[in-house]
Order: sequence, then C-alpha cells, then structure tokens
Amino acid sequence: MIRAIGKGSLASILAVGLHVVRVIAWIGFAGLSAALVAIPLIPPFAEWIAHLDGASIDGDIDIDAGDFVEVLRHFISFGVTLYVVERLLELLKTLRFGTPFVKENAVRFRRVGVALLFGEVSKIVIGILAMITGADVDAGLDFIVFVSIAAVFVLAEVFHEGARMKEEQDLTV
Amino acid sequence: MSISVKLDRVLLDRGMSLTELSERVGVTIANLSILKTGKAKAIRFSTLEAICKELNCQPGDILFFEDDGRPIRHDD
Repeated sequence: MIRAIGKGSLASILAVGLHVVRVIAWIGFAGLSAALVAIPLIPPFAEWIAHLDGASIDGDIDIDAGDFVEVLRHFISFGVTLYVVERLLELLKTLRFGTPFVKENAVRFRRVGVALLFGEVSKIVIGILAMITGADVDAGLDFIVFVSIAAVFVLAEVFHEGARMKEEQDLTV
Repeated sequence: MSISVKLDRVLLDRGMSLTELSERVGVTIANLSILKTGKAKAIRFSTLEAICKELNCQPGDILFFEDDGRPIRHDD
C-alpha cells in the first residue's frame, strides 16, 4: 500500500509531478503574456519594418481578433493552472509537515474551487467573444468539470471542519 | 466562553504551584496552562478527576458557568 507521506509516497510523487507542471505552466504563462502584449503591436511594427530601406519582408501581416481570443483562452488556462498548482503544492507541503488540517488549507481548497470556476466561466466569455469575432475557438463546457469543482468546494468544507476538530482536540486537556 | 475556569484560585488556596500540580496529575504544564487561562475547549473526565483528587476539591470548585459574565448559582 502507498504511504500517505514520506519518501515514495503518493504525496511526494504528486509533488514532483506538480513541480514539473508548474515550470511548464510558468513558461507557457510568460510566453502567452508576452504574446498578448505583442499581438496588437505586430502589424504596425511589421509595416514599419517593411517601409525601412532595404527591408525584404511583407508588411501586410494579418492578425485578426480571433487570434487574440485564441491566445486569451490559453492565457487564462495557463493562469488558472499555475494558480491551482501553486495552491496544491502548498497543500502538499502542509501534508509533508504533518499538519494538513489547518484553516489555511480550507481557504486554499476554496481558492482552487474559485479559480477552476473562473476558468470554466471564462470559457463562456471566450465563446461569446469567438462568436463575435468569428474565431474558431473550442470553448465547450463540460458538465463533469462543474461536478469536480463542486467536489473541491466539498473538500474545502471537510477541511474547514477537520481544522475545527483538530483545534478542539489540541485544546482538550 | 460561558464556562470559566478558576484553577488559579484553587491552587492559591492550596498553596500549590502549576508545576507541582502538573507533576502530581501527570498533565503537561502547557496543557494545564491552557486550562488555567481559559483557552481549553474541553476537559477529559480523567483529567478533571486527577485534578480534583490532588486539590481535594469538587469539579464545581474549578469550573463555573457564567451567563454573560454573571455567575449562575443553584439558589438563583
């Protein structure tokens, strides 16, 4: 049976995986942040370059609103992933220290739930933006994701009660 | 909290220190301090029994129920 904490435990394996995901999410998030800023600037910059003497590039780069919506969708996805992974790593850290039932962890679970909910609700906004701009963006909602978000909120309440019980236990003489 | 602990008063009456009580009842000073300062959420019957035995008192000498700071007595 896999141990809960310590070397070779599920928590330590998860922590390694989450650290890898965090690095990937940071790179993706930084790249997409740069892209969001750069996209509106690319056409005028390319046009300016094309007008320079000796330039041999086509200044007519067509970036439509759909491209911006697509980048925005990935930007939100990576942002939410990064936020959730950071909170999960904090949760695992308290588990490693043997103090998982603290009120801070209930708050962390709530924040994870809110972040996931934000990610799903943003899909609706992205879908509307895609319809307006005519972009081909997959922003379909998944019912199972909403059930998973509900499960995270239930976990938050369980941890809240667990923290209260732990406090009561600690203050029983 | 409506239950207040008057352990310090009983200890003073008996001329006993918290450290001495701790050694006699086998409860850590930290836990007795939690009880004495009124931070305790609960007290085990075994702890209460040991304290009452060592201090030669009744649970009612240590624990008091107060309604909005006003002590409640049987004859109220």
